[in-house]
Order: sequence, then C-alpha cells, then structure tokens
Amino acid sequence: MKRRRAVGPTAWILGGSGCIIGALAAWLVSQGNPGNMGLCIACFLRDITGFFVGGLTNQGAVAYIRTEIVGIILGATGAALGAREFRSRGGSQPLLRFVLGFIFMGGALIFLGCTVRAWLRLGGGDLTALWGVLGIFAGVLAGIVFLRRGFNLGRARALAKPLGLVLPAFGVALLGFALLSAFGAKPGFATQTTEGAFATGDKPPAVYLKTDGVPSRVLKPEGGTFSADGSIVARDGVLAASAESVKKAKPQPGGRRAPIWTSLAVGLAIGIVAQRSRFCSIGGIRDAILVRRFDLLFGVVGLLVGSSVVNLLMGQYNLGFANQPVAHNDVLGSFAAMTVATLAAMLLGGCPFRQVVMGSEGDADAALTVAGMLTGAGVMHWASLASSAKGLASGAWWALGVMAVVLIAVALHGSRKTAQ
Amino acid sequence: MKELDVRGLSCPLPLVRTKRALDDAPAEIIVLADSGTAKANVTSLLADEGYAVTVDESDAEYRIRGVRG
Repeated sequence: MKRRRAVGPTAWILGGSGCIIGALAAWLVSQGNPGNMGLCIACFLRDITGFFVGGLTNQGAVAYIRTEIVGIILGATGAALGAREFRSRGGSQPLLRFVLGFIFMGGALIFLGCTVRAWLRLGGGDLTALWGVLGIFAGVLAGIVFLRRGFNLGRARALAKPLGLVLPAFGVALLGFALLSAFGAKPGFATQTTEGAFATGDKPPAVYLKTDGVPSRVLKPEGGTFSADGSIVARDGVLAASAESVKKAKPQPGGRRAPIWTSLAVGLAIGIVAQRSRFCSIGGIRDAILVRRFDLLFGVVGLLVGSSVVNLLMGQYNLGFANQPVAHNDVLGSFAAMTVATLAAMLLGGCPFRQVVMGSEGDADAALTVAGMLTGAGVMHWASLASSAKGLASGAWWALGVMAVVLIAVALHGSRKTAQ
Repeated sequence: MKELDVRGLSCPLPLVRTKRALDDAPAEIIVLADSGTAKANVTSLLADEGYAVTVDESDAEYRIRGVRG
C-alpha cells in the first residue's frame, strides 16, 4: 500500500494559482485600480449594480462595469467548456442561496471587501485587514459547527441547458454595456463614476477632477467653480466645499480603474486559473479544520505571497494601521462583518469568487447567489449601510444583527432534516 | 465494496462523506459525483489515502473508482 500523503500535488497547483491571482490583482492596482482592490468580488459586483441603478441607490462614487468580473465569468465558462465540466444544474434551495448572497454582500460592504480582498488588503500591508481575517476564521468555525450538525442545503439536479447559461449570458451583456460606455454610447439610465474623480467629505460631497495633480474642473455641484482660495462654490455663490476639504478629498473608488482591455484580459486569465484550480478564499481554512486536508489552504497562502511580492516590487506596500486605502480601522465592526459574510459563504459552500466561477460552469444556484449579491449591494448603498473610510455607518450594527439572526435561522433549518 | 453518491452536494460535503466512508478502509469504493470540483477533491483524497483511482466519465456524472493498492 502506498504511503498516505497529507499534502498532494494539487496543493502546489492551488498555491501557484493563488500566487498568480494575487500577483495579477496587485499589478492591477499599479494599472489604476483602487488601492488593495486589484480584485474584489464584492466591490466589483457592487460597482456593477451602481452602473445600472446607481442613480437610485446613492452609488455615484461606485458605479462602473468592472470588466474583471466579465473576464472571470467568460474565462471560467471557457475553461469549464474546454474541460467538459460545464453542466447546467440547480435546485438546491435557490431562494435561500439568493438570501445568503445578499447577506454575504451586506457583511462585505460593512468590512469593505470580500473574503478575497481581506487577504489582498493584508498583502498590501494593511494591518486593519487582520480584524477581518480573524472574522473569516470565526465565520469558518461557526460554519463548521453547523456542518457537523448535518447542515446541507440539499442536492442540486441537472437542469435544462439554457438555465446554466444565465451567468455567462449576463457576462456577455455586461461586456456589451461596458464597451458601449467606454466608446461614448453609455445608455441614458446608467451611472458611471467619472474616471479619476475626487470627492470631498461634505454632505453632499463636492466632486472634481484634477489635471497634473491640481484641482481643475468641478463636476458637482453642477456649474460649480473653484474660487481663488481653492474652495468650491456652487453656481448660486454658496460655498460647497472649503479649501481644506478640497485638499483632503479622496479619489472615488469607482473612478479608479485599469484600462478596460487590461481589466478584461486579467479577468479572463484569473477566471481560467480559478476554474481549473478551484481556488476558494475560505475553503482552505474550512478543509484544514474539518477534514484535515490542506491543499486548498495553499490557495490563500499563495494569494498572500503573490500580492505581497508584487505590491513590494511596485512600491505599493504600506505596512501599518493608518491611511489604508478604502479601509477603516473599526476592530469589532470589521471582525463581526467578516464573521457574518464568511458564515454566509460557508452555508453556500464557497466564497463569492467560487460562486461567480460555479455560476459560470452552469450552476444556476450560484448564478442566483450572484444576483443576491448584486441586489444586496444596491440595498446596502440605498439604505446608507455600507461603510466608508471613516468607519461604520450608523445602522451597520443593526444590519449585522439582523443578518446574523437570519443566518442562524437558515443554518438551523438546513441542519434540521438529515438531508439525502 | 462501498458505493457513495455525492451528486449535487455543495462543498465540502462530497469530501466529508467520502472521508467518512474511508473510515473502515474499504478495499474498493465507488463515488458518483457530478461536478468537476467534487471529482477533483474526491480523486485527490482517494489518491492521498493510497487508492488507485480510475474515473469513468459520462455526460451526466463521474464514476470514481478507488481500489486499495
């Protein structure tokens, strides 16, 4: 009998894949993406929601079709078709999965990043991400408690072929809208953050563009101008933003982006690598604890190594707790938000990145989970529950409490019947 | 010989159930799976536990057979 192995060859494939994904994500930051946000499934899906309904949901600062997502969907679909792994399937509690996707997004937007970005933030030296990573561990442990009690959402079954094509078709539609908008034919209903725009912390914020690092053109309030002292004055002469808040203004995340073709190409590569390797940002910790299998754990370790190395090489590495991009340092809030998000992902059977990849392989339930995430993003911004760099929104703890209660109810419901 | 059906189950159940089925070290095990991920996970688990693995693939499912080597 052959000797038993604790670490098989797939560990190296996963480690290498994580490394590639982390390195590409960090490189995307150097190409224009927001800080430590070369890749964030939650943030990027949120930006896509912003494109379609941002006018209704106060998402002016975060509205843009991230073609990384398009690339991931199409790359994973292509890889699954090539490997003959594309199978239309679904019917394992689709409605609950929609709700779990919604809750995942809620937690992620309170933490400011999904379970992938938590590791990428750490890979950029952002130590405030540690509280989120601790939350990932807590969420995994909570999920394991329910899995040990027999939690199971039930079996998916084979579905008619077209149903498995929903997410790939959505990816193609997104590509169409992204190209239209990039070449000056943005549909009238859509919202798109102006590239390179800065916003002040005022309410409502003043938004302006810089030329060669100097404030040059006021976008909001419309018709506003810069006065001699650097403040922004509205058309009617009322002060919209003081010179000091203009100086302190931050770039709007939706306005920071790599060139569209770069994002698309990197997304395609990441989609192929993720589909083939089955990379998951929470599954590694889960499998290590639950079944003592360590292969998948190499994925997140690779992600951390790849992103750290490229961030260091690109001079983007900023070790510490202060002044971290698109992050806050609310210790308890970050921990609780990531615990909630990770428990939702545990009940779904994989992180949001995996959901996008599985949806691209024909899993209609995963496609509905993605729909839940898109919807959750809109609702969180509409209700002003998403966090900002300043910290948690005023209702965020209530939202986390409600989401935790729903998660526990779903978990108990799923553990009650011993599933087939 | 043991036979196990993990079709349609979300992660990590295919892995958990296969691992449990290996507790009494069967000489031969057959696992039915229907996703590439479950196939990969089950295959590498069986290989790591010292089984010689063959996979029969049809349009609908993977029939993974492990024989203790």
